[in-house]
Amino acid sequence: MLELLASLGAVTLSALQRTGRGFIFLLRTLVGVPMLLLRPGLLIKELYSTGVQSLLIILVSGLFVGMVLGLQGYISLSKFGAEESLGVVVALSLVRELGPVVTALLFAGRAGSALTAEIGLMKSTEQLSGMEMMAVDPIHRVIAPRFTAGFLAMPILAALFSAVGVAGGYLVGVEQLGVDSGSYVSQMQAGVDWRIDVMNGVIKSIVFGFVVTWIAVFEGYDAIPTSEGVSQATTRTVVHSALAVLALDFILTGLMFT
Amino acid sequence: MIPSFAPPCITGCHPPTVATYAAMDDPHIRIENLSFARGDRLIFDDISMSIPRGRITAIMGPSGTGKTTLLRLIGGQLAPDSGRVLVNGEEVAALSRRRLYELRKRMGMLFQSGALLTDLSVFENVAFPLREHSRMPEDMIRDMVLMKLQAVGLRGAIDLMPSELSGGMARRVALARSIVLDPEMIMYDEPFTGLDPITMGTIVTLIKRLNLALGITSLLVSHDVEETLSIADHVILISGGKVVEAGSPAELARSESPWVQQFIQGLPDGPVPFHYPAPDLVEQFLGEANA
Repeated sequence: MLELLASLGAVTLSALQRTGRGFIFLLRTLVGVPMLLLRPGLLIKELYSTGVQSLLIILVSGLFVGMVLGLQGYISLSKFGAEESLGVVVALSLVRELGPVVTALLFAGRAGSALTAEIGLMKSTEQLSGMEMMAVDPIHRVIAPRFTAGFLAMPILAALFSAVGVAGGYLVGVEQLGVDSGSYVSQMQAGVDWRIDVMNGVIKSIVFGFVVTWIAVFEGYDAIPTSEGVSQATTRTVVHSALAVLALDFILTGLMFT
Repeated sequence: MIPSFAPPCITGCHPPTVATYAAMDDPHIRIENLSFARGDRLIFDDISMSIPRGRITAIMGPSGTGKTTLLRLIGGQLAPDSGRVLVNGEEVAALSRRRLYELRKRMGMLFQSGALLTDLSVFENVAFPLREHSRMPEDMIRDMVLMKLQAVGLRGAIDLMPSELSGGMARRVALARSIVLDPEMIMYDEPFTGLDPITMGTIVTLIKRLNLALGITSLLVSHDVEETLSIADHVILISGGKVVEAGSPAELARSESPWVQQFIQGLPDGPVPFHYPAPDLVEQFLGEANA
């Protein structure tokens, strides 16, 4: 019994220490963010690798999710003779929920895992130590640009996901299933509120971008510097990010829409 | 041909005796009553030592004795549990981050792996400290990088990526990078490990020439006895968390300590036994046979 309590205590202490390290790491990263104004080249390079290189998977996924929404929405709405409302159903589903959430999950899998692996490998090959010994703070030079790029890229990717999804819903609903195109667009315009729906979706994607990128860069920086350690850190990034996004989505939805 | 930095001689230019004693009066690095543990394992147990200015000092000892840890303590990447590490009279662990980074600008470090930034070319790797710490115009940076690469014989490799370099070339590029800010001291972490004889000879020569030409304090961590003793002015042997012996290579060769003799001659058995502690051989065999 005593051993069980001791091991439980050890696990709790370890988790608390790690959380503390994570917050200190975040503070040091945030201090480094304004310095990027002096060196925008670093940020642009990272925006390319985290944002632009994630575009394909985000756009293709957005298209398919929109098409599925169009199909499922049509099947459900046509039972009530309300297929003209397909546009608003697709758009609300995307901008409120699926756009930010699915983009964040895809972003964690594509860019988050890459960030963790890259930083973890830099650590295991002593590149981060080497920078420290050259009097260059790796948190400012390596972490801050990646964190900022991920944070900035996420809302843009989520917006593109939603836009392509709406187009996917249009393709299926209007072009394939015969919903009136005017109804699709006008119902969408009338039913989607800029502040309540779109802005709240953007806020969600900003929060998710912040959290997913923080988890990804911290896991890489805190990884055990071995191949196994980096592999475990990469897995943790995807799992923790997914759980954090889903849990935060519930909380944010509760705060925003109730 | 390996380029010369300044004086043409490699060994024998300065007899270690008088100069070393003079340098000892003004140590570059002083370690006082240092203790350091990782978890339950005590790595350094109240050790003290002085690293003379402008000379090559070798820290030697068996694998796992904490030689690299000592370099990290000197560089401020680790903090001692007790005791002090002083570089140029400044206590490293007590420095603020800003002052520690100022100190590190005057330190070079050659990592065992080279630690080159894999997404940058050879040129950009060597230019990295200059870009970070100076506002030199681009043509001056280029000239500086070319000079340093010429010094390590790799001016022709300027456009290669780290993945295109051999282990020895990577270490030479890293050496060029570590001297690009003209540091007062360089720490070499196992610079000879895993190198072929020609490359090893090149690195040995470069370390010696850098020390002679630039007067850099060189701190060399290694367990390659022959190469290290051929260039070191001062050697400190550590084992089991303690300084076992210190002196010039000649003094170590004359040491009456069986441990020192076993280490520098590479004898398989001696005070450090060949066999890992085990139960009695006969007892174990008979025990297994009877079981």
